[in-house]
Amino acid sequence: METNLIIEGVKFMFLGMGTVFVFLVVMIACMNIMSSIINRYFPEPQSSADATTASAQVNNKKIVAAITAAITHHREG
Amino acid sequence: MKSILIKFFAAMMLFAFAFSASAVASEHATESIKASTHQEETYKSQPMGDMVISFLKSTGIVALVHPRADEMSATGKPMSDFSKGLGRIIMILVTFLLFWLAIAKGFEPLLLLPIAFGGLLANIPIAGIGGPHGFLGVIYQAGLSNELFPIIIFMGVGAMTDFGPLLSNPKTALLGGAAQFGIFGTLVGAMVLAQMGLVDFTLKQASAISIIGGADGPTSIFIATKLAPELLGAIAVASYSYMAMVPIIQPPIMRALTTDAERRIKMTTLRHVSRLEKLIFPLLVLGLAILVLPESTPLIGAFMFGNFLKESGVVERLNDTLQNSLINITTIFLGLGVGSKLAADQFLVPETMFIMVLGIIAFGVGTAAGVLMAKIMNLFPGHKINPLIGSAGVSAVPMAARVSNKVGMEYDRTNMLLMHAMGPNVAGVIGSAVAAGVLISMFQH
Repeated sequence: METNLIIEGVKFMFLGMGTVFVFLVVMIACMNIMSSIINRYFPEPQSSADATTASAQVNNKKIVAAITAAITHHREG
Repeated sequence: MKSILIKFFAAMMLFAFAFSASAVASEHATESIKASTHQEETYKSQPMGDMVISFLKSTGIVALVHPRADEMSATGKPMSDFSKGLGRIIMILVTFLLFWLAIAKGFEPLLLLPIAFGGLLANIPIAGIGGPHGFLGVIYQAGLSNELFPIIIFMGVGAMTDFGPLLSNPKTALLGGAAQFGIFGTLVGAMVLAQMGLVDFTLKQASAISIIGGADGPTSIFIATKLAPELLGAIAVASYSYMAMVPIIQPPIMRALTTDAERRIKMTTLRHVSRLEKLIFPLLVLGLAILVLPESTPLIGAFMFGNFLKESGVVERLNDTLQNSLINITTIFLGLGVGSKLAADQFLVPETMFIMVLGIIAFGVGTAAGVLMAKIMNLFPGHKINPLIGSAGVSAVPMAARVSNKVGMEYDRTNMLLMHAMGPNVAGVIGSAVAAGVLISMFQH
């Protein structure tokens, strides 16, 4: 019993770390498969997202224009 | 004629009332006689001096200085005079230290304050608040001895977790696995201590202590109550105080193991993750856990339940309850219940000191293993990983990820590692739940 303790601990370590890694590797593989299937067959409708970003860009341009106008006005004045 | 009738009725009423009142009074009188005879049976008249002395004997001061011989511990065992007197005073001072850490230093105050106050209450002499009939004991029985509260906390944590960063860079999950080396490395360390004869930890106790290295509070409490409830107080305090000290413990280890060039590695931007992926992921992980390790499904199942509710997007009310009210209420009870294990007779033992030492070693080893794993992964072709995010593989969500980000910014102000570090961070939660499942399954037969 006495001599077994450290060896028992090492056994636990190999089994435990092995299980954790096997689990995570399988999980990573499944995640990759799942992502590729979803992105191929069920792609997210991108139109709405594009529209919002496009409108945001227009807004940004307007803001930039307003700021430059204000700066030039300030410098001239 | 009418007035006579009214007078007659009034007189009748008066008579009836007086009669009934006298009847009630006589009944009352007989009752009080009964009561006084009953009292005389149990209560004997004492001289004033004796009463004062017996009252003084029931004060806290006397109970601390001259402990009662018949006072039992919360588990119903006899206690030494030390843990009834001076030990309690020391423990009350320890809880004051915890108050200071929580309030002045901001160490996980949400849990440390309820734990410390529970500890203060559990160390009150005579009252027996931590005992089977005290309210702390009742809380402990209701939700800790059956591992209910950590599970509920896990549901809330699941509802707060975003798996997006992990889904967009799945291989970082390996970092969360490597950091679990902290758990098993510490287990071997505890066994070496036991072998040397310094402490007599059983394998179960050593496993419960080593789970501190998972840096996940609810998992630690879950495992400790299952495998070694007598060590729960020390394990929970070590776990939460070290989690709070992550910003102090981790950076020196991270700097020591990386070169300047490695710390400046910029990672590729994370791709967009669709809603469907986020919705299926919790079911995927739970499915794997069912197939590989059913023992881990209480933790992973609760975690994924919370996450699934959040990602479904149709039960905003339940999601909100899990993230806020439910987790807050449970945190209060969990803290107080753990605090009941800070009673002097259970906490002031040599094992506590070893648990504190082993706990910090577990944290350090886990951090180092995560960083080294990132360096190993960089030897393989593919996108480079900044090793600083490896340290986030110890769970401690989101503190460890913030530490990675902060250390990275010290070397390159434009290098934002936070979202990259969230991947290994949430993988660490899954990893420690799996490790916990392994430990439980090994003691099943």
